[in-house]
Amino acid sequence: MKIGLEIHVQLPTKSKMFCSCPTTGAERANTHVCPVCLGLPGSKPSLNRKALELGLTIAKKLGCSIPDTTWFSRKTYFYPDLCKHFQITQYDTPVGLGGVFYLGSKPIRITRVHLEEDPGKTKRVGDGSSLVDYNRSGIPLVEIVTEPDISSPSEAREFLSALLTEIRHTIDLQDDGERSVRCDCNISVGKERCEVKNVTGLKNVEACLKYEAVRQMKILKAGGKIERETRHFDEERKVTIGARKKEFEADYGYIGEPDLGIYHIAKMAEGIRLRESPLDMIARFRRDYGLEEKSAKQIVNTSMKMAELFEELVKVSDVQTALSWTIGTVAANWKSFEERDGDTAEIKAIIGRFYRKEITDTECNIELKALMTDKTVEETEAGSSDLDALIDEAIDENPAVLEDYRKNEKAANRIIGTVMKKTGGKYSSSDIVAATKRLIEKRL
Amino acid sequence: MSGMDLKAVNERYKMFASFTEDVDDGAGFIFSAKDNLTSKDFETTAGSRILKGYNPPFDATPIKKMREAGGFLCGKTNMDEFGFGTFSTNSAFGIPKNPFDLNRSCGGSSGGSACAAAVLEDHVSLGVSTGGSIVCPASFCGVYGLAPSYGRVSRYGLIDYGNSLDKVGLLSFRASDLRKYLPIISGKDVHDPTSCVQPELELGKRKIKAVAVPEEAVKGEGISKDVMGSFEASLESLKSMGIDVEYVSMPTLKYSIPAYYVIATSEASTNLARYCGMRYGQQEGDLTLKFDDYFTSFRSQYFGDEAKRRILLGTFTRMVGYADRYYNKALQVREAIISDYKKQFERFDAVVTPTMPFISPRFDDISKMSALDSYKADFLTVPPNITGMPHISMPCGYSEGMPIGLMFTSDHWNEDVLIDMAERWDSAFEVKHAEVKA
Repeated sequence: MKIGLEIHVQLPTKSKMFCSCPTTGAERANTHVCPVCLGLPGSKPSLNRKALELGLTIAKKLGCSIPDTTWFSRKTYFYPDLCKHFQITQYDTPVGLGGVFYLGSKPIRITRVHLEEDPGKTKRVGDGSSLVDYNRSGIPLVEIVTEPDISSPSEAREFLSALLTEIRHTIDLQDDGERSVRCDCNISVGKERCEVKNVTGLKNVEACLKYEAVRQMKILKAGGKIERETRHFDEERKVTIGARKKEFEADYGYIGEPDLGIYHIAKMAEGIRLRESPLDMIARFRRDYGLEEKSAKQIVNTSMKMAELFEELVKVSDVQTALSWTIGTVAANWKSFEERDGDTAEIKAIIGRFYRKEITDTECNIELKALMTDKTVEETEAGSSDLDALIDEAIDENPAVLEDYRKNEKAANRIIGTVMKKTGGKYSSSDIVAATKRLIEKRL
Repeated sequence: MSGMDLKAVNERYKMFASFTEDVDDGAGFIFSAKDNLTSKDFETTAGSRILKGYNPPFDATPIKKMREAGGFLCGKTNMDEFGFGTFSTNSAFGIPKNPFDLNRSCGGSSGGSACAAAVLEDHVSLGVSTGGSIVCPASFCGVYGLAPSYGRVSRYGLIDYGNSLDKVGLLSFRASDLRKYLPIISGKDVHDPTSCVQPELELGKRKIKAVAVPEEAVKGEGISKDVMGSFEASLESLKSMGIDVEYVSMPTLKYSIPAYYVIATSEASTNLARYCGMRYGQQEGDLTLKFDDYFTSFRSQYFGDEAKRRILLGTFTRMVGYADRYYNKALQVREAIISDYKKQFERFDAVVTPTMPFISPRFDDISKMSALDSYKADFLTVPPNITGMPHISMPCGYSEGMPIGLMFTSDHWNEDVLIDMAERWDSAFEVKHAEVKA
């Protein structure tokens, strides 16, 4: 079985690809539109530089070779959601050619990476008619095309999941669900392949490929031949449907887009610094700091920013100190800290003072918590000392926990459970966990 | 000039697709614009029935700039549908009549603009050229017509014919208008990236000292006797002004027409793909049909014949299996023609030919012409247009009462020497007004 994917990802730019319309937050249909993305006669495109940068970043990340110059092309076809009846895309000069993505140790070859604009969205309205919303028209897309190196529907899903995780971190793309990723899926069980166009989201991709694989196998088993064709995926019934047979292959009549020039991108491409991916970072933390896989994953998967902070903390203390504070109090309060866009330099300062023994670990815990939850030291102290007292009490009642903890950290759960019952929701579970671990370790 | 005058004048000459009777006489100056430039307060139809009812929500940048400089837009001028034509006879809304002889054409596709420039007092008109559509009507109507370098004037708001060929320019009876208005409409515009590579426009005092006349253009059968007579007399005038005149060979010129029509129609066929009513313009269509059937019947009904012809031709030249032979080849031929001109500009300041090979033809003669005949009439104007070089037509003679034009082409960005030439010529040559009868 051979599977190849053409993946379309919406790029996280503020403006559309060729105009200044916003790309998010539209309250009603056809409100984020202008003459350019509506294709009004007389309008002209103007390239969003950020979109080009992000496209090059992805091409570089996937190890593609990047040409010195690139330009855009017109792909002409008639459909109501494409307001100019041509799409501005890249035909003969994609921003990236010939890369590879490793799924574990298996290489999936990347044929090409290019930029293009999204068309609008069509919605069927019951009485056999459709309405078109052009809010999406002109949103920048990157299209990633793979060779048919994928061997099963579930592998396709794994691949997409891993690829998207990498891309999200590389270009700071928020994970707002699966909506903004669409795939054209190509699959062949025998010699001939079929294409299923415009499948949205990972679950649907896997379902569609599973259905197609079975459909094709059935035909071959019955002694028939697979016809090369384009099909569509019915999301509700989870089946693929053949499109109306066309007499001719679509001829898009590509020409270079004459309203946009030739872009010299070598320098821009060279200047792009790739962010380390989560997988790479976990591997590096294990290697450079001797962390166990579990700890490394815990830190990196909570937040890349917090992982960067961990490294800063190592600089002002040592690995063990940085580790225990990071996975303890810092992790416990990270969410509220990040929501308020906190300054990690302040956390670094507090840990530094602890390491230099200018403050005790209790004081350090209080200061950190106060900083990260935006409360005063007094407020935090009051809350925390009560909690500490309860935990100390629970440990005193259960001294065997200390010995058991040495062998298995999970022993702390006994204390945690007891305290949680006693306090009945007064303290957050992450606070209780962090404080318990701290107090147990203090005693050891 | 009042609104009433406009009405009477338009009755006679049909130069306007739309105009206002509410003319602001206190404005700094009054201008008109070809109807393929979008304007907020006039319908903009580009001479086509398919755009009837299109009310753009924005002004084209050249119009915006003229307004910001104190200009009052009094009307939109008639033109061949989308710019497809040499005689403005392919207009859906009125064919402009030559002020020198109402039975003859104004030329095209900016026929209405040339007519307005010839007839209205103190008037400048914005025209557009793709293959010669500024200088041709300028020549037929006996006015000055300047097509700046491609990329000198923003095309934002220009309804596209050929994106790599279209240029917005000026038509006026007075040579002095060119120096006055070119700086106003020129300049970089972020909305049109192709306008952003130009060097600054410098209208200094550089003069034409030597000109080249391509043998391939003027020797041979293509040009009528009266035009040749006027042209040769003009060359003598140039010599007496102290300008060197030399005949040269430019062997690529003969490929201009085929290369031009391939590039222009290829681009046009994509530009015109969007027109199918629904979103703007003509709304009389049966929306209960399936989309394919709907747009097919709509476009068949509302496009004129010449538009259909060029869409078919331009679609063919882009098709798989043909694109290399036609479209991509034509792009290479364009480069060769540019080199041919650049070679001459090493020794000469301008290339000179007559603007059109004959005086304006009568409407009944035009109706007997085949499409190919009328394409061939562009053989003198297409070369500077396909290269994107600035060029100008100035009135240089009259035959049977009809004007004849003299055309200068200079190197990219050198509009200054053309404007200087026009001013020099204007002080030596007496440009005749057409007789205006209300």
